[in-house]
Amino acid sequence: MDVVFQIVANSIIAGSLYTLIASGFTLTYSTTKFFNITHGVMTAVGAYTVFFLGKILGMPLLLAIIVGVLFAGLLGWVLNYFIYQPLRKKNASQLSLLVASLGAFTAIQACISLAFSSQFQTISHTAVMQKTFSIVGASVTQIQLIIVASALISFVSLTFFLKKTRFGTAIRAVSDDEEVAKVIGINTDKVIGIAFFIASALAGLAGILIGFDSAIEPTMGLALLMKGVTASIVGGLTSIFGAVVGSFLVSFVENFGIFYTAGEWRDAIVFTLLIIFLMFRPNGIIRT
Amino acid sequence: MKRNLLSLSDIHVHYGGVHALRGINLSLQAGEVVALMGSNGAGKSTILKTIFGLVPITSGSVCWRGTSTLPVPHDMVRKGISFVPQGRRVFANLSVEENLEIGGFSVTDQGLVRQRIRDVMNLFPILEKKRKEPSGTLSGGQQQLLAIARGLMSNPQVLLLDEPSLGLSPKAVKEVFETIKTMSQTQKTALMIVEHNIPSLLRIAHRGYILDKGTIVAEGDAQRLAKDSTLERIFTGSS
Repeated sequence: MDVVFQIVANSIIAGSLYTLIASGFTLTYSTTKFFNITHGVMTAVGAYTVFFLGKILGMPLLLAIIVGVLFAGLLGWVLNYFIYQPLRKKNASQLSLLVASLGAFTAIQACISLAFSSQFQTISHTAVMQKTFSIVGASVTQIQLIIVASALISFVSLTFFLKKTRFGTAIRAVSDDEEVAKVIGINTDKVIGIAFFIASALAGLAGILIGFDSAIEPTMGLALLMKGVTASIVGGLTSIFGAVVGSFLVSFVENFGIFYTAGEWRDAIVFTLLIIFLMFRPNGIIRT
Repeated sequence: MKRNLLSLSDIHVHYGGVHALRGINLSLQAGEVVALMGSNGAGKSTILKTIFGLVPITSGSVCWRGTSTLPVPHDMVRKGISFVPQGRRVFANLSVEENLEIGGFSVTDQGLVRQRIRDVMNLFPILEKKRKEPSGTLSGGQQQLLAIARGLMSNPQVLLLDEPSLGLSPKAVKEVFETIKTMSQTQKTALMIVEHNIPSLLRIAHRGYILDKGTIVAEGDAQRLAKDSTLERIFTGSS
């Protein structure tokens, strides 16, 4: 029975990480309607910023984390401002935007590899974060509790921002119909830029938390992107709540799947779930 | 002589390889209702989009209160121009109230936004009853009224209406035009309306322009244009 509780705990932890990535991906996809591959590499950007500032330069950890999150957000904003926004203004096709984001993903990943090597690195230089707790028979570390709390806080904050603030309503309006949003006086370029900042900051936070929980490598973004994108698609690609539901469905199926098969099947199980949804429920669980 | 709120001078617009507007000159004064008429593809909607900055101008100038301006949508809203595009394009996933709130996005004083919502609810009582409902569930006529109400939320001096009766039932068309008439009489907003329902349009318009193939072929008093043979000639295609 303890094994089941442990799998549930692992699913909740993985689901929380996927929530951070999928929420951001959903936010940029709903406002721009393009498949932003660069979103994945922001996990590595956030993680390596903390690695560089905290572990190499010795900056206080909390400050390094804040800078890491903000830097990932800023880079997302910069990529949108200098690459995707001009392409959108030229009515570039979705394929052109996809290729541009793939190029940016590859370039950033290569820069990280050149700067820090392709080896695995750890950014946790304190044992405190690995302190273990037992919760209803499941063993979880302090950082894993922080991961769950971060996802919960991010979801609540983002939902409040989107539902209760003027700017959040503007983001929802742009997601609904960008041209009409322009017509009523919303500066859609600014709104989309802020959506990119928030999304990339969330991805950066996910990367940092993974770095404290296990290890980081320059290519970490692709696998995380695919899980996050699967969660977004399963969730319906239009709402943050859908992204959360999709994230936890993916993580539970993934963790229970490998329990009954083997760890090597992890990605195959997730993509099988994606294919099932694309074939039988392409609009996802939460339809708006 | 009244000063023009808005004027277009020798406007040319190209859509890809198409010369959509060919030297358009027109004006709109405060409180006036101006009709833009013509067959499909004459350039009526392009004029509204040009004024609002949704299509790039090849040459010519747009003047707002006598000053030449480069139209950019969010700037035009701040200047006092509102645009209601054709096709009842409301934010379907937002409630009626949220549509109105976002319509007042350019108004920074939230107290003023609440006041404007009360004002437009008074002007469009049906929206009050549907306040919390997702706007995607409203009927076509109600969605059109919501789109117009949303356009009024920024308290514009000029409201550009593109085909407000498009795709509506005769009953809904009557309701929409009644509301526009009431609005033009009670508000100080000047209206520039593109519409295929010429009799309904000319009943509420003061002046009008008739377009054909991107040029203005007739203009003047609405009642005079109603009797002008140009309209019949354009719509029937006779020379």
